[in-house]
Amino acid sequence: MSAAEKMSRRDEMETLLPFYLNGSLEGAELEAVEEWLATDPAALAALGEAEAEFSGTAAANEAIRPPADALSRFARALDAQAGPARAPTGQSWLASLFGRVTAMPAGVAWAAAAALLALVLVQSFERPSGKGNDFEVAGAQDDLAKLPFALVKFKQDARMADIAAFLGQNGLKIAGGPTADGVFHLTIPAETSADYDRIVGLIAAQPFADAVIQGRKPVDGG
Amino acid sequence: MNAATETDRALVDRVAKGDRAAVRLLFMRHHARIYRFVARQTGSEMMADDIANEVFLELWKQAPSFEGRSEVSTWLLGIARFKALSMLRKKKEDWIDDDDAAQVPDSADTPEVVTMKEDKAAALRRFVDALPEEHRTVIDLAYYHGQSVTEIGEVLDIPVATVKTRMFYARKKLGEALKAAGYDRGWP
Repeated sequence: MSAAEKMSRRDEMETLLPFYLNGSLEGAELEAVEEWLATDPAALAALGEAEAEFSGTAAANEAIRPPADALSRFARALDAQAGPARAPTGQSWLASLFGRVTAMPAGVAWAAAAALLALVLVQSFERPSGKGNDFEVAGAQDDLAKLPFALVKFKQDARMADIAAFLGQNGLKIAGGPTADGVFHLTIPAETSADYDRIVGLIAAQPFADAVIQGRKPVDGG
Repeated sequence: MNAATETDRALVDRVAKGDRAAVRLLFMRHHARIYRFVARQTGSEMMADDIANEVFLELWKQAPSFEGRSEVSTWLLGIARFKALSMLRKKKEDWIDDDDAAQVPDSADTPEVVTMKEDKAAALRRFVDALPEEHRTVIDLAYYHGQSVTEIGEVLDIPVATVKTRMFYARKKLGEALKAAGYDRGWP
């Protein structure tokens, strides 16, 4: 291989490295990059440089913070465009019950939370489609209905970017919501009840969390 | 499908049937990235705010015609790109000239002094920001948005070969800027 050919190959590999790093490379191009990384002493240094670019680009993007009230403004714009929402049925009732539960003393709240959870499950059983309601119940999909979850309300001044970052870092997923009162249904990636308690405690400790009610917990040894 | 991560496509199907909760979930998943993409395209967070909102209203309207040929994220970025370009045209704002934008941002400091003031990571971030728009966009789409060569071509409506050419020159310019600042990475 001539020097010119070698340079040309390196140019091509350098061009593909960002796509190797983001996991989108496949087929012959993926094989070529892997072979280059395995055989060219300069390749690993080049990979390190691309990784630095990756970090720098992520930092530059994440320095831009979307406004905290973006979702609520969008919801209003959507309602204006799509017309008034369907008349609330169980949703508002559920949301208001959530509000009452979170205002209770802790001991009373646990009992009420259990009742609320049961009602959510009944709703999900009776309305398996989960469509047409502002509140997405756990039974919208069969698998989802089996996952550990918690009901969470975020503070009004919470920044969406902070919430999204926290959810992403902890593998939490929004499975439903928000209701008109801002209640979200989060699935909790816990395999044991201890995991579940730790994660729910972590959510509750976040400055953007207004209230958290425990939902389904994993059954230890089950 | 993992139900805990109901796919974007499944959510778009729900949106197509008029499910507002589904469009709000998609908003939660994608808004920040769309907002950042437009902010970096236009240089204006005010425009980004307006356009990102419009993108999701467009999603609401166009969901029934979404054919699933591309990922939802790619589709949304394409809508955002189109809307950003339209708004910029309306405002008669010209794209940044490549030659001007390729330079390090204005500074009275020599490269050596700048180097003393910042570490390599900070320098790199500054150089990414200073890339010409067409080069910075492919860098953003690949590194931050995780888009493939083909997907970037779809978002920007350019051939795959052009995506690769822009990526090549973008990385080459970053290498040159780093070298000028005293960080020789051996390529180009």
